Amino acid sequence: MSSLLALLFPPSTTRNMELSADVLIILASAAIIFYLTRWHRWKYLWREWLTTVDHKKIGIMYLIAAVTMLFRGGTDALLLRAQLAVPNNHLLGPLHYDEIFTTHGTIMIFFMAMPLIFAMFNIAIPLMIGSRDVAFPRLNAISFWLFAFAAFLFNISFVIGGSPNAGWTAYPPLTELAFNPGVGQNYYLMALVVTGLGTTATGINFLVTILRMRAPGMTLMRMPMFAWTTLVTSVLILFAFPPLTVAMVLTLFDRLFGTAFFTIGRGGMPMMYVNLFWLFGHPEVYILVLPSFGIFSEVVATFSRKKLFGYSTMVYSVLAITFLSYGTWVHHFFTMGAGAAVNVFFGLSTILIAIPTGIKIFNWIFTMWNGRIKMTVAMMWALAFIPTFVVGGATGVMLGAVPGDYQFHNSYFLIAHFHNVIIGGTVFGLMSGVYYWWPKVTGRLLNERQGKWAFWLFFLGFWLTFMPQYALGFMGMTRRMYTYSHGFGWSSLNLISTIGAFVMGAGFVVMVYNFVWSQIHGEIDVTGDPWNGRTLEWSTPSPAPEYNFARIPVVTDRDAWWAMKQEQKTNVVQIKPQEITDIELPKSSGIPFLMGLSFFVFSVGMVFSWWWIAGAGFLGFVVCMLVGTFDYDDHKEVPRQEIQNTESAFGRLQG
Amino acid sequence: MNLPVEPDSTAKLPLEFTDNHESLKILGFWSFLATDLLLFASLFAVYAVYQSRVGMQGPSPDQLFKLGPAVVETLLLLTSSFTCGLAVYQMRRNHKRGTIIWLAVTLLLGVGFVTTEVREFVSYIAMGDSWHHSAFLSAFFTLVGTHGAHVTFGILWAITLIIQLMGRGLTTVTTRKMYMFALYWHFLDIIWVFIFTVVYLSGKI
Amino acid sequence: MFNNGDNKRHKVIAISPNGPTGNGDEVEARFLAPHFESDGFPWLQIFGYVGSLLLTIAALLAVVDHILPAFGLLVVILVLAVGQAALQLGIFMHLRESRGSTWHIVTLGLGIVIAIGLVGMSMWIMTFKSGVS
Repeated sequence: MSSLLALLFPPSTTRNMELSADVLIILASAAIIFYLTRWHRWKYLWREWLTTVDHKKIGIMYLIAAVTMLFRGGTDALLLRAQLAVPNNHLLGPLHYDEIFTTHGTIMIFFMAMPLIFAMFNIAIPLMIGSRDVAFPRLNAISFWLFAFAAFLFNISFVIGGSPNAGWTAYPPLTELAFNPGVGQNYYLMALVVTGLGTTATGINFLVTILRMRAPGMTLMRMPMFAWTTLVTSVLILFAFPPLTVAMVLTLFDRLFGTAFFTIGRGGMPMMYVNLFWLFGHPEVYILVLPSFGIFSEVVATFSRKKLFGYSTMVYSVLAITFLSYGTWVHHFFTMGAGAAVNVFFGLSTILIAIPTGIKIFNWIFTMWNGRIKMTVAMMWALAFIPTFVVGGATGVMLGAVPGDYQFHNSYFLIAHFHNVIIGGTVFGLMSGVYYWWPKVTGRLLNERQGKWAFWLFFLGFWLTFMPQYALGFMGMTRRMYTYSHGFGWSSLNLISTIGAFVMGAGFVVMVYNFVWSQIHGEIDVTGDPWNGRTLEWSTPSPAPEYNFARIPVVTDRDAWWAMKQEQKTNVVQIKPQEITDIELPKSSGIPFLMGLSFFVFSVGMVFSWWWIAGAGFLGFVVCMLVGTFDYDDHKEVPRQEIQNTESAFGRLQG
Repeated sequence: MNLPVEPDSTAKLPLEFTDNHESLKILGFWSFLATDLLLFASLFAVYAVYQSRVGMQGPSPDQLFKLGPAVVETLLLLTSSFTCGLAVYQMRRNHKRGTIIWLAVTLLLGVGFVTTEVREFVSYIAMGDSWHHSAFLSAFFTLVGTHGAHVTFGILWAITLIIQLMGRGLTTVTTRKMYMFALYWHFLDIIWVFIFTVVYLSGKI
Repeated sequence: MFNNGDNKRHKVIAISPNGPTGNGDEVEARFLAPHFESDGFPWLQIFGYVGSLLLTIAALLAVVDHILPAFGLLVVILVLAVGQAALQLGIFMHLRESRGSTWHIVTLGLGIVIAIGLVGMSMWIMTFKSGVS
């Protein structure tokens, strides 16, 4: 019994911070359970959310999860910056500091950015391409629950068993059992494998959806730009995640079963892990940023009242980026010493990527040129992206030059660079998308004034945080440094950076306030088209009915909805009763949730090497698969009458 | 309005392609096979790099492998691939019994493959060459074992498929599932051919 | 062969109502046109089976008899393996079959290119094991 307690609560989880987190978690869970029981919401929760296969609801769940994880990852970031604010600080212990930067990176990439991207996919893509759902609705729900349970698994490591502490890249030999006893690293490995499975399924889902479920007449070259970037992101996911899964599983085998993949003694090579990890890691960078490129294209065109400049060059540069991104992974480990030829090859391919990216930047600028620009919050995020991403991209080219990289590698210059591209590219883009599509999802507009406050705080905080870090990198400060002493000249720059981080934190708080406030008091979107949009999602009511389109629109032009409005042919909105037919929709199912739960149980068993529990989880998975394969009753029919009623309630019925 | 029509050539579709929604799953499954291909590619990369890293005294590929079991496994899997092709052929001609019989034969050959492979593994471990021993052995067992696990999953899938075919006959759904199973099975055959070549044969060069 | 329930579901079509626009969909319309294989006696399957057996035996004999120096032998057996993969894909997996457009060929082709790149480049990157240390 005492050994079990020691396993579950090793010294690293019994510090004050963890204990207070424990108490908070227990209190929050108790409050949620009380609320659900008191107001009899359990059934509602299960029926409407936990078992849903509706892409719009899954999108909302992704959104909520991502904002929650942004809070966790952001808190980690503030702790790190607080620790580094002044020299010789001891706010966190060294091990504690290692754990926090590990969870910060992992959560931000896998459990914040990825779900936020999938939230955008789910919310926008089926509506944009004129489809009633994604290709495989149940698989879509499975993806979500795998992600959700993996995120849960990763987060409980903080309070039960101990956090992972080897950085978000988790290089061996530091992750080998000999150097990293305890279960923390197992949590990391299992969580990434499980969420990776879900992500791969999402990739397949959206690939098929976009290739095969577009509205009649929407040819590839008439697709909205966001559909294009989603398509290539799906392809990237398909080919990038298997190497990650392999890297994770092999490390897990080393730790749990004593294999010899990354232990030097028996012929293994830690460098092979690094190679596999970045085979995933570099395409991942483009998985993160390409959806944002798509969002910018939509937002910039909408709020400039112009069609996107150079549509086909945009498409070709996206395709070029996709292809090139598979040939650049070594630039993450030039200093490993793979030899001059290897480094030159990958250095060149890295710098080549700047060309298509530059083309895109010019296209956005030319789209705005002579446009009637409307300064909404969504547009401001898009505008802020351009200078920010250009700086990030330029420093990326500096890092891509091999001799330079030997100087900058693992310094704060690198830290500043990748935050510059990931925040400036991905996060700004996703924020733009959240403000842009929020009314479509919730039926209410976000308050613009609060949104502008959040934007300016976050934007200025961002520059304040990361610009000093470039300088710190040149001054020799390396990443993952727990503390530093006086006399290096780093103190004031670090303090500025910390202040900036807290300003960003304030921006986040205002943003969440904005979300909550607008949900209660926000202006109701009655038209379904608050921005005078260009693409098909704005032809539906806000929020869209379960079946999306009472009649699937026929597309004759790029920017389909804009064209319909120009030609006064908005009869997609006005529909005659006799044109309505029955619609077949996927049925809700408990299997996705239970499958996620089975994976969770399996993972807990693996983490603690409790094989019986792992076996039980695996059995649960098999049962879910069996029930799923014999379940032929996965569709329901929405009768004509019900659709007529819904449409007339929206005021969209003619006669 | 001038609604687009489906191309004429889809008028005589095989059953598994007639339902639009079911046919999407075939494309989805091809995409899955593409990611699975990358999974095996990663494992092949690991094996190719670790092939010569046999540790202090561990066996080299040449010392470890016996070609006998590998050839038997190859023949079993190639034959099962052929019988699986015949099952699809029978399905296309709307012969339910033929489909089920050939699928059952495929399944049995698959069981034979897995049994032979397990015996091969057991014989290596009995000699003390388990996957703890060296990076080469770890990579070997993981690559070949992952393929074996895929085949095992395929066998379970085939069992559920036979039950559904017997209960429901050849419908748009069951034929689509059968078609997907066949894709999976042939894909595993391709992977095995490369394992046979890269692992066993090149170990003997 | 279409059942009437089909139109409640989504029509799958990506070709412009007024014919190809010249903006890339002509690729979808012509190059990726659907195609199905006809049924007769399963000659094709038998040919595939015999072919794969012959290729396997050839590879086995080549290695057992050491007909070439090591590198040449490796190339030969890899080529034979690729031939087998082509047989499986073309004959048993009905690679060219699809409804609508044959997007799976594009996906799979890209997958094969990246898989070859992954293995080849990884081996190239990892050769420093013998060069440097």
